[in-house]
Amino acid sequence: MVILSMIPASFFFKWLWDRLNIFATVFLSIFVEALPYLLLGTFASGLVEVYIDRTQMSKWISRRPLPAAITGAFMGMIFPVCECGVIPLTRRLFNKGLPLSAGISFLLAAPVLNPIVILSTAAAFGWGQMLAWRLGISLVIAVVVGLVFSVEPDTTNVLLPILMSVDEHDHSLEINASFGGKIRAALLITADEFFEMGRYLIVGAMLAAGLQTFIPQASLLAIGSGPVLSVLVMLGLAILLSICSTVDAFVALGFMGTFSFGSVLSFLVFGPMVDIKSIIMYLQVFRRRAVTYLVAIPFMMSLLAGVLFNYLKP
Amino acid sequence: MLKQRYRFYQALLLLALCLFLTAKAAIGQLTWYINFRYIPLTIIGVVFLAILAQTLYSETKYLRQNAQHDHDHDHTPASANLWFMLVPLLIGVLIPSRPLDSSAFSTKGFNNNSPLVSADSSAELLGTDSQNRNILDWIKLFNFESDLSPFLEQKASVIGFVYFDKSLAKNQFFVSRFIISCCAADSYAIAMVGEWPQASTLKQDSWVLVKGPVQSIKLNNQAVPLIQAESVQAVPVPDQPYLFP
Repeated sequence: MVILSMIPASFFFKWLWDRLNIFATVFLSIFVEALPYLLLGTFASGLVEVYIDRTQMSKWISRRPLPAAITGAFMGMIFPVCECGVIPLTRRLFNKGLPLSAGISFLLAAPVLNPIVILSTAAAFGWGQMLAWRLGISLVIAVVVGLVFSVEPDTTNVLLPILMSVDEHDHSLEINASFGGKIRAALLITADEFFEMGRYLIVGAMLAAGLQTFIPQASLLAIGSGPVLSVLVMLGLAILLSICSTVDAFVALGFMGTFSFGSVLSFLVFGPMVDIKSIIMYLQVFRRRAVTYLVAIPFMMSLLAGVLFNYLKP
Repeated sequence: MLKQRYRFYQALLLLALCLFLTAKAAIGQLTWYINFRYIPLTIIGVVFLAILAQTLYSETKYLRQNAQHDHDHDHTPASANLWFMLVPLLIGVLIPSRPLDSSAFSTKGFNNNSPLVSADSSAELLGTDSQNRNILDWIKLFNFESDLSPFLEQKASVIGFVYFDKSLAKNQFFVSRFIISCCAADSYAIAMVGEWPQASTLKQDSWVLVKGPVQSIKLNNQAVPLIQAESVQAVPVPDQPYLFP
């Protein structure tokens, strides 16, 4: 009797143990993969803090919304960051007086419009239509969302105050600090931001890993292959997988046979802007309403683009 | 929390993270998580973590020396940030790691008709020695080539883990591998079929080297390579348990 009653329990524990293992593997894989990029982004943010001051910023970037949004979208070419690194960097740039429209379009475009991602997309799909449309549509979405935000005159309605204000009166941050002193200050900021943003990367990766441990991917893929449904499935997958924009092209390549050009394109456009971990990180920087816009507008526009391509280029 | 102590804990955690990743790299387990192509990036990250930890540690010394006017620092950083960094360390250390296996099939997918890569890379495979092809290569060939006759009876020699499935006969099993592009988060499994009289002696998820001539079998209306095993040998988990398209 005792032995019999043990059997289901041991099966249950084996099942639980297996789930736990998958969870750990997927979680660590997302974390390990994102780590260098997060470090790069936070270090860039630290360098911006010590090397750029507010007067320089206003000289470089126009105050008019459209030119500012377009400049912002192309700033990724100078700061090659992916979607984890771009968030602390954008917050820092806002702090330095970057206009809202420029910052928002930078936030959305930089994870795609940067040399590393262009090269990796080209490596996966070649220098062809997929790359061109990916860049073009990402640019349009980023500029549009940037313009939407430019309507808001008061940045405090969009941005949360920086809670852990990183040492404005830190000793090492003297105005005439030496090169070494400045780098040191930048590294301390990097560390603080790494802990702050890392926290949300970890929460996001845990959520993504949890979903992947319990929700069969096949059930998502089985939902649909229609021109609209298939785009929705790919958008859902972009959110669920939470992979870095620097490498997502290779993942997208795997879907090329099962999914249409338009659906895969929508995955490539939307994934770098929104996924589980970036939503969680956005919530630390922006007010809820702003996050809603940041998620909803790219979602609608990527959906529209994907569906259009499915009809024009089946 | 005192600033000085906060910096010290930061240094400690980054050092721990750095050591954890170094250990994973040293025992070759990073490939259980990410594509080997991205390992150099992780190494750079590890070096940077060490630099950060060193800077933070020297800052604690600096703060200690200048502690007098620093007593009532009012903006103490949120210490919750620190505890979160323990999560990856605890998960990594406490849960014994193993590469993905058949228990992940139910959620990650087990799927031979995924378009693995562009068709032109299967053309390159035509010329390769059949014994050098891995499971992925065979699946690619079977997916892209309309005429399979040149491959039948070729000798295959592949490594994978064993998976028994109801869709197969008693003397058959799947020899399976996970495919990853970027990291384990985007993995899915593919498999060939092995046919061997002693199949029932194999253990689920054990790694094997299967050798024998290749045949074709229909599963779910799809041609899948089947190896008529002349030998099935147990092998250790390969250095790279996943294959990369």
